[in-house]
This record gives sequence, C-alpha cells and structure tokens, in this order.
Amino acid sequence: MGNWERLVWNQRDVLIQGLLVTIEICAIAFAAAIVMGLGLALIRLYVRPLRWIAGFWIEYCRATPIFVQLMWVNYVWPELIGWPTSFYTAGWVALALQSSGYLAETFRAGIENVGRGQREAAAAVGMSPVLAFRRVVMPQVLLAIAPAIVTQFTVIVKSSTLVSVITVQDLMFQSQRLVNVWYEPIEILTATAGIYILFIFTVSAIGKALADRLRLRYGIGN
Amino acid sequence: MFSENLRETFNLALFWEYRHILLAGLAFNFYVFACSVGVSVVLGFLAALGRVNPLRPLRWLGAIHVETFRNAPDYVMLVWVHFVLPLLISQAIGQRVTFAPFVSAVIALGLVYSGYLAETFRAGIQAVPKGHIEAARACGMGGPLIMRRIILPQAVRMMLPEAMNNFVSLFKATTIVSLITVPDMMYNVSMVTQQEMRPLPLYTGAAITYFLIIWAVAGLARLASERWRRKIWA
Repeated sequence: MGNWERLVWNQRDVLIQGLLVTIEICAIAFAAAIVMGLGLALIRLYVRPLRWIAGFWIEYCRATPIFVQLMWVNYVWPELIGWPTSFYTAGWVALALQSSGYLAETFRAGIENVGRGQREAAAAVGMSPVLAFRRVVMPQVLLAIAPAIVTQFTVIVKSSTLVSVITVQDLMFQSQRLVNVWYEPIEILTATAGIYILFIFTVSAIGKALADRLRLRYGIGN
Repeated sequence: MFSENLRETFNLALFWEYRHILLAGLAFNFYVFACSVGVSVVLGFLAALGRVNPLRPLRWLGAIHVETFRNAPDYVMLVWVHFVLPLLISQAIGQRVTFAPFVSAVIALGLVYSGYLAETFRAGIQAVPKGHIEAARACGMGGPLIMRRIILPQAVRMMLPEAMNNFVSLFKATTIVSLITVPDMMYNVSMVTQQEMRPLPLYTGAAITYFLIIWAVAGLARLASERWRRKIWA
C-alpha cells in the first residue's frame, strides 16, 4: 500500500487539477455541441437551401473518428482559417464537432416526433411559429431526448481523454506525466482508470435519475 | 493566402504519393478491428449470459464487467492494458511479460466493446418471449439447446442494428491504436508528416478516407440489417 500512498494519494493535487481541466473542457465542448447540434437540426429541418450542407456536415461529424477529427482540427484548421490558436481550443472544438453531429440527429428526431396537430393548435390560438416552437415544441423535445443528451455527455468525457495527446493538461495528461516521472505505471494508471470509470458511472447515473424525474414530473415517457 | 492554404489542404497529391504506406496502415486498422470484434463478441456474450443467469454471483460478475468496461474511456483502457497489465501478469507468474502493441490494442478494444455488446446481447436475449422458452422446455429441450436453437436466432436478429452501431464505433476506435505505436494509418500519417512537414493534405486525406469508409459501411450495415430483419422477422 506504500506505493499507492506515494504515487497516488500524495499526488492528489495534480490529479485533481487534471480532473478539473477534464471537467472544464467537457463542459465547454458540451455547451458548444448543444448549440451547434440544435442549429444544425433546425437548418436541416427548416432552411431548405442549406439543408444538404447541414446534412453533409452532420454525416461528416458522425462518421469521422474523434481522434482523426482532433488531429484535423489541431493541424489543419490553424493553417486554413487561422483558428483555433491554442491546443485547448482545438481540443474542445473537436469534441464539440463530433457531438454536434450526434446531437443534431437526436434533436431532429425529437422535433419530428412532436405531433403536427400541436403546432397547428398553437397557431390557432395565435402563437407565432417561433413562439410555438419555444413554448410548445421545445419543452417536449428536451424532455424526450434528455437521456440521449446525458449519454452524449458521457461520450464527450470518454473522448476528452484524447486531448492529452495534443498536450491539453487534463487528467490523462497529468497521470502520464506522473508515470514518466516515477516510472511506476501500475498504481497511477490504475487509479486514473478508476477515477474515469467512477466519474463517468456517476455522471450517467445522476443524469439518468434526473432525466427520469423530470420526465415523470412532466408526464412524458416511462 | 487563404486560397493558397485551401488548395494545399485539398491538394491530395501528397496523400496519393504515399498511398502504399498509408494503405498498409489502413490494413492494420482492419486487422485490429477484426480481432477486436472476435474478442468483444465472445466476452460480450459471456457477460450477457452472466447478466441473465439465475445465479446471483454470476449476475453480479456480469454487471461489474459491463459497468466497468462500458464506462472506461478507450484511450485509458488502451494505455492501461499496454503498460499495466503486462506488469501485473509478470508479478503474478514471476516472469517478465510484455505485450506487442497490436496485442494490447486488440485486448483493450475487445474489452471495452465487450461491455457495450454485452448490453446489446442482453437486450436481445431478454426480448425473446418467455413462452418460446417454456414451449421448448415442454418439448424436452435442454438449456444449451434452447439457447442455440430458440433464443440466439431470434436474439441475433433483434440486436443486429444495435450491434452494427457498436461495431462501427469499434472501427472508429481503432484509429487511436496509433498512440501505442501500432502502425495504422494515423500512425503512418504522423510519420510522413514529420518527414514532409506538410500536415494539411495528409490529415485532410486521412479524415476523408476514414469518413468515406465509415459512412459507406455504416449505411450498408443499416440497410442490410433492416432488410434481413424484415425478411426473416415479422
């Protein structure tokens, strides 16, 4: 147990700092992915001339491995459009791109599942299409796809381990740095894997419980 | 400046120039994929059997397997299997063991995706109506025979689309094996990039190649499994 204390417990500040960076980059990527995903879904559904561009972009994001996308954003974008200028930005942009494709499809399915009659009823009582979308359609969509959104967040956390490759100092980066300092991988890497597994398990359990509570409360699903 | 970079990005001549080494790398992606599919199907099936078992300890074992590997990031598992597992085995048998990168990649990806597949299998097995199993038992069929002749044929059909999704994810995950120096396409791309100092066409080419393969395969798989399901089931 001496090794565990020396290599893991005594290094807890570094590991916690890494975990905070992981949480931060995942939160930013998640927020960006939701905005982009919703935008892409709306364009695909309602903006006819741009529909095929959005469709192609969604397919591209979904069918490209995250590691390839990360390398692409990190090496190609700065030369091509002069942005992103830091590894950190490249990291969350790649994570957000990947998830935006999946979220766009989730949003689209959710929006299409809201009955047409509801929007007609909203129009009949004098709501504008935008107001009807905001007050009638969107709440139902969010409740219906809440579990899928939670799952997508755990996917982002899992993929976020790869940003350590482009030297973003997340948990994976810090633990590999510790391994390179001490040359004793067993305890450090096992602890890192344990932290990730526990973190993702907890997030998905809490998220699922929350989604179920909301759905039960407002009477959708189950 | 911008248009110059744009031309550079989509000028795939450099990518084409190195096509042999890049294709050899792509072959490695497929090797890793094929072997990991084997590992994950076997382990996933065993874990699913554990999860639907009447024996409580086996159910627990199956649940621990699923929750561990489904929640483990691919990259973390890859590094763990490559750097920690050989040391643990060495300590256990008192002899120095190391894994070739390829072996580590197959074990790690096989383990991670066995977690996802186990849940897919379980859903398929549990979707088989109870009456079918009772009827088979009434005809005098034994447990393994029921599994082979009654449950699996129906379960496989029902789980096919989800299993295809799992396999597509697994293929995408094979791109990270370059990080433990398996010479797959991404590894060769980074090697060539270091030589040529021109990352734009190479990384764009790699992204387009992977996109085309995965997009086409995912589409075909969806089509095939839908058609097969409709033909045989319902």
